[in-house]
Amino acid sequence: MKALLAIAARSAWNRRGTLALVMLSIALATALLLSLERLRSDIRSSFAQSVSGTDLIVGARTGPVQLMLYAVFHVGGATHGIRMDSVRAVAAHPAVAWTVPIALGDSHRGYPVLGTTTDYFARFAYGDRQPLALAQGRAFAGTLDGLYETVLGAEVADRLGYRVGQQLSLSHGLAAGPDEGHADHADHDDHADHADKPFTVVGVLARTGTPVDRTVHVSLQAIEAIHLDWAGGAPLPGVRIAPEHARKFELEPDQVTAVLVGLRNRVAVFNVQRFVAEYEAEPLLAVLPGVALDELWAVVGPGERALLAVSGLVALVSLSSLVAVVLAGLNERRRELAVLRAVGAGPRHVLALLAAEGALVTLLGALTGAAAAAVAVVAAGPWVQQRFGITLQSTTPSVEQWALFGVVLLAGMLASLVPGWRAYRLSLADGLTPRI
Amino acid sequence: MIRTLITGIAALSLAGAVAAQPPGGVPTMKPPLAAAPAPAAAKAGEPRTITWEALVPADWDPFKDFKGLDFQLLDDADPRANAMLKKMRKAWDDAPVNPALVGQTVRIPGFVVPLEDGKEGLREFLLVPYFGACIHSPPPPANQIIHVLPRTPAKGVRSMDTVWVSGVLATGRTDTYMGASSYRIEATQVAPYTEPAR
Repeated sequence: MKALLAIAARSAWNRRGTLALVMLSIALATALLLSLERLRSDIRSSFAQSVSGTDLIVGARTGPVQLMLYAVFHVGGATHGIRMDSVRAVAAHPAVAWTVPIALGDSHRGYPVLGTTTDYFARFAYGDRQPLALAQGRAFAGTLDGLYETVLGAEVADRLGYRVGQQLSLSHGLAAGPDEGHADHADHDDHADHADKPFTVVGVLARTGTPVDRTVHVSLQAIEAIHLDWAGGAPLPGVRIAPEHARKFELEPDQVTAVLVGLRNRVAVFNVQRFVAEYEAEPLLAVLPGVALDELWAVVGPGERALLAVSGLVALVSLSSLVAVVLAGLNERRRELAVLRAVGAGPRHVLALLAAEGALVTLLGALTGAAAAAVAVVAAGPWVQQRFGITLQSTTPSVEQWALFGVVLLAGMLASLVPGWRAYRLSLADGLTPRI
Repeated sequence: MIRTLITGIAALSLAGAVAAQPPGGVPTMKPPLAAAPAPAAAKAGEPRTITWEALVPADWDPFKDFKGLDFQLLDDADPRANAMLKKMRKAWDDAPVNPALVGQTVRIPGFVVPLEDGKEGLREFLLVPYFGACIHSPPPPANQIIHVLPRTPAKGVRSMDTVWVSGVLATGRTDTYMGASSYRIEATQVAPYTEPAR
């Protein structure tokens, strides 16, 4: 058997050019399959990890997925705010343990700005109920003295090179992405800027792998303060309220974008949801984050399955090219096989020889592909994290990945049985008889 | 509208209260999740398969405060109808647990409403007796919701999937809002729903 393998390897080496190409196509297919599977599972867990410990998200009446998307992922916009009176009414519900209001809508160089209370840092959790942790500095004070303080997500601080103590200014609305933003952020010409009221970085959060990393956190009062001299989406001409004067105004917000709600007893979740839905003073919506996420996945699911199916087809194509190449090679190898038969190899040896060659090519291809996929995940990881906020885990392969790897190997071996069978059927005489 | 709602709820409550008898047209399970009636003598250690009706104490009558009232006499706009609806809702929210079942190892089918989703799977969810319990209809009474904490995270279970949950039925911590207590199961097993053998 060992001798047979050695012969197979040497014979394959003799035809290394074609086989290398086949190996490459198998490698590419494997890499595609594995990295797609990694991406698929990581996107899903990334989403599922992004909020934990929050029982309900309450916002203006819209779609559950939409509410979830803007309240947690800061994607898209709110159709309407929710009045603070309503927030207080929800907070007063006997089953509600805590509420954290959030206000969205502004940005800093493409990163969303989240106005909230200091409770946010204590209540918001991600992953396995992990609370937010500060990598540097402290949370904003939430007092008037600390009005212009901000806490940055890890991604924002890393990408823009901010450290505790630095100053930055916010932009009105959701401006261009971080790459298309102004190269010089001291550029104060932009009309829709809140440059007159700069913020000081007082803390940077530890990396979470969730949308929190891409968020600039300020207090609700700060959001009010920077909009004091604004009306109708533009600064009021001739009205300038200096940052220090803003503190004299009423800074308690009238409305916020959404509220995160935690309950005393999770069984009461339907009752509170009902309470919110039937709240008479304002049309509101409460969603269970888990249910909304599953709804989102129900929408995205067919797409991701289609992607997986396409990469499965790619794998199929490269395996059939393996079959084609080995089958085509049979003609040239007629002599070689006949000589082997002449020196005493039985038909089953020939079959084993060809099967071993196919398995070898598939194994090498699949291994190269797996390595390429691992390298790609490591190499593209930071970019994907930065661009899409999805953390790719370059950890040990998942069960699904092993399964895919196994399927490719198995399919390769099965495919190489086809030329093997053909060679098995070729008679000894067939190879030795010269044909013109 | 309100009148029909009240009549509906009253009928439901009545049906729930008399569920010890074979339920005749009890509209609590919309796609009926058939659970075989609890076998009289379950093997020791084996979880006993129970129905949602069994979770309601046999002597609980949410209808007792409404005895002698003819709902047909109430007008939709009648403020008394509204007050009564609220009262009915309160009775449902305070629905007591069945003490006879607490502490027993049970197996019950239901729909999943996810609460905590982790990397390895669902770590916490609510089990409810009918599809869409969270959105389209008034919430089920307190004793028709089970807070499930799987021992090992349930993988591949999504919102509104049907599952069999097995474990020891316990009562959750006392909460003044949700009545005396509510059910919880630290589930030893969460399995996809299959039709019970007939």
